Amino acid sequence: MRNPARTSLGVIFQNEVLLNSKRIAPYAMAILFGANALLWWGWGPATGRGWATNSEYFIVSVFPVFSFMTLPLFTAIIMGDPVIRDFRTGVVPLIFSKPVTRAAYLLGKFFGNFFVLISCQAAFALTLCVLQAFRKSGMVVQPFRVWPYFKHFFVFVVVTHLVLATFYFTVGTLTRNAKIVYALGVSFYPLYAAYQVLLLKSLPSRWRIALDPLLMNWMDPAIRGRNAEWINGLVINYDSDMIANRALMILIAALCLTILYLRFAIAERTKNGAGQSHTQLLNLSTSNEKVYVKDDDLRQARDERDATVIAQDKIAIPEVHRTIGGFGANLKQLIAATGVEFRLLRTERSLILIIPLVLLLSTFELAFWEVAPGVSYSAAYAGRTAGALLLFLLGMSVFYTGEAMHRDRELRIEPVLWSVPAPNHVLLLSKFLSTLTLTLSLIMLVALTTIALQIYKGNGPVEISVYLNAYGIILMPSVAFMICIALALNVLLRDKYLAYAASIASGGGLFYLYLQGYNHWLYNPVLYGLWTNADLTGAGSNHARILVHRIYCLAIATLCLSFAHLYFQRKSAKSFLVQGRLSSAGWSVLIAVFAVAVIIITGSVLLAAH
Amino acid sequence: MLKIRGLKKTYAGHIQALKNVSLEVPSGMFGLLGPNGAGKTTLMKILATLLDPDAGEVEMNGVDLIAHQGRARRMLGYLPQEFGLYPTLTAEQTLDYFARLKGVARAPERRALIDALLERVNLSSARRQRVGGFSGGMRQRLGIAQAIIGQPELLIVDEPTAGLDPEERVRFHNLLSETAGENTVVILSTHIVSDVSHLCSGMAIIREGEILAQGTPQGAIDELAGCVWEATVPHQKATALKSRFKTISTQVFDGQARLRIISKGLRPGEEFISLAPTLEDYYLNLVSQPAESESR
Repeated sequence: MRNPARTSLGVIFQNEVLLNSKRIAPYAMAILFGANALLWWGWGPATGRGWATNSEYFIVSVFPVFSFMTLPLFTAIIMGDPVIRDFRTGVVPLIFSKPVTRAAYLLGKFFGNFFVLISCQAAFALTLCVLQAFRKSGMVVQPFRVWPYFKHFFVFVVVTHLVLATFYFTVGTLTRNAKIVYALGVSFYPLYAAYQVLLLKSLPSRWRIALDPLLMNWMDPAIRGRNAEWINGLVINYDSDMIANRALMILIAALCLTILYLRFAIAERTKNGAGQSHTQLLNLSTSNEKVYVKDDDLRQARDERDATVIAQDKIAIPEVHRTIGGFGANLKQLIAATGVEFRLLRTERSLILIIPLVLLLSTFELAFWEVAPGVSYSAAYAGRTAGALLLFLLGMSVFYTGEAMHRDRELRIEPVLWSVPAPNHVLLLSKFLSTLTLTLSLIMLVALTTIALQIYKGNGPVEISVYLNAYGIILMPSVAFMICIALALNVLLRDKYLAYAASIASGGGLFYLYLQGYNHWLYNPVLYGLWTNADLTGAGSNHARILVHRIYCLAIATLCLSFAHLYFQRKSAKSFLVQGRLSSAGWSVLIAVFAVAVIIITGSVLLAAH
Repeated sequence: MLKIRGLKKTYAGHIQALKNVSLEVPSGMFGLLGPNGAGKTTLMKILATLLDPDAGEVEMNGVDLIAHQGRARRMLGYLPQEFGLYPTLTAEQTLDYFARLKGVARAPERRALIDALLERVNLSSARRQRVGGFSGGMRQRLGIAQAIIGQPELLIVDEPTAGLDPEERVRFHNLLSETAGENTVVILSTHIVSDVSHLCSGMAIIREGEILAQGTPQGAIDELAGCVWEATVPHQKATALKSRFKTISTQVFDGQARLRIISKGLRPGEEFISLAPTLEDYYLNLVSQPAESESR
């Protein structure tokens, strides 16, 4: 029998796994899912209710919710574009010139990516399984078990995602447009909610179970009211409705793949087929080929062609006035560069996931929250979202700064860009400003959502100044600081992944220290845990101190920018003075000295106030 | 006038890319010929301020390009051998971006410039298409357009016609010829000999980081006048001839060997006819000679 790994399907499968292993998304997903499991284990419903964290009931309760939370967007990201990527990179002709059938290609692509998706999701089940070995005080843990995790993960997560995965894969492959898949991913929640409310709710219980792809209605809600001992002893068996549901899902998945197989075409798509010629020109010849025709014929043909081209080349290139150097010209260059950098950042595919996720989380964070106004409702709302957003925004700043800093090299545009007469500070500041603008846009979106929720819940009045304090004074300088640190790390380390690792390690170390109680204003540039809602209204005692701290934090950021400028890889004048005037390196040193002075002064003020 | 004196560059692993290169390049088009790995791209990168040499000087119209890289970039237009573009920008947006970075600040001027450039490189119809969907030739043409923005005094083009079809090549040659004015130096680095013979008033041949020859294409061709011979002979005889004469090309034609031989004064055989030399003959004759280090 032929080794399956050596069949074309097996080879394509393996290649897909290999390609995904070189992407960041699967690792990020696995980490996220693992962290999610940690939260369910330590701070989930089991701890407060005396349920065993490894009881079957708990496992079966957790998996559909996990599935629901991670299903649409992550599945769309992994499954939407495997075939589109092949067409985009132009590797399709190479693949289909080999003895590969359409079925082997499609199935290899699908199962390769689905395997990666499931492996990432398995981090959730695996983390829960491993956490059986640990227990917090008051936590109930039954004897160690593996099989229920495996069984319920397969039934509740794998089969559920199989349907969505085949759907996204089919849509992505047939439309060759990843944006449609992402749009479907984003619209999953409203569609599913509408499906539940408008259709399933009115059906009898058996149909509700059979037709629900996520099996959210399978567990009897009355079980929750039973005592913990009964629940911990519960053994979960699948009934016929449930099995019918899973069988239906697998059938739908198979149907999707069959439609895909029948409709899939290898041919390249043209944008306007109507206006195009049916013939193609093959430009196989080069100038120095040896063609054995009469020299005169060849020369005549070449002269005729050249004459035609020369006749077409009547358009003169106009002379233009150039302004280079000086503050005004540099500012115009900076505006142009920032605009392009921001446009490039906006097209980052991960934003399609991140923006809805942030909005969703901040909405969930507030929607089901009993507001205790304290100093004011606005302070409570703004403070809660600012606290929740902080870590997220810091991670985002590090990631997008790394992307912006290394994009030019990865796209091989660096030699072209570095030969233009734009100074180094224009290139660096454009990356800083574009990332800052991106995070600012996200903060504004969250602010608007929060204000809308505050109004919707009738917790007025909305105090704009409080929101400005929370987002403008607490969040923005912290984000600016983080971007500058990431910028300097990327310049100094010259490796994106090394910079990510250094940022995560140092950030993680600092947060650990803060959580352990070693939280001082001098080494807490993001103000984590150092402000209260009262400070947002001006009623707190720390308002002035916070302002000094922000100056301190921005001075460190400026120092980092100066270092990044001094050590930027692009060649520039090494001396500090050029023709008796300060060079850009000279300006960097001067600004660094000024920043150090500000750091010392503001640091002393903070120390004195401690 | 571009003056290069004593330029040296050694990469990690003791790879000597440039060994004391000196050149004087007058205004106009100058061809730099050499096989792959000769050091052409290293030289181009140094001229484009992307790489620092270990030693040597480069001066353009009195400006030291190595010490004053900022000033150097004001007079520079560069098309690298391998380059990319932002895939999500359109052709128009890409040129607009580079024009703004090159200091073309006035919007109406910039628009007119971009229109003309797109027309000249035959990309007008694709001006609103994203660059990510461009073919290799279209990308190359856009690269050429960005290089000539702002009338550069020193235009460096590294293997520019790779990926262009014959018509586009002619168009590109025209564009280069126009750009090379009285005060402009255009350096065309290539291994396509015909590009240099058609376009350049001056040329140099580089191999293993050393300049082997410098002069004009016509002067190089004249050096070989009466020395190039060609004949179609049986394979056995071809082997014998190859051991006696310097052979610059051998092709199999109609079951026999077609030989092209360099021989000064002496006719290699009765079947040989004398041919007018080409720049390709000169180039192949020169680069096939053993290097000084090898002959020693």
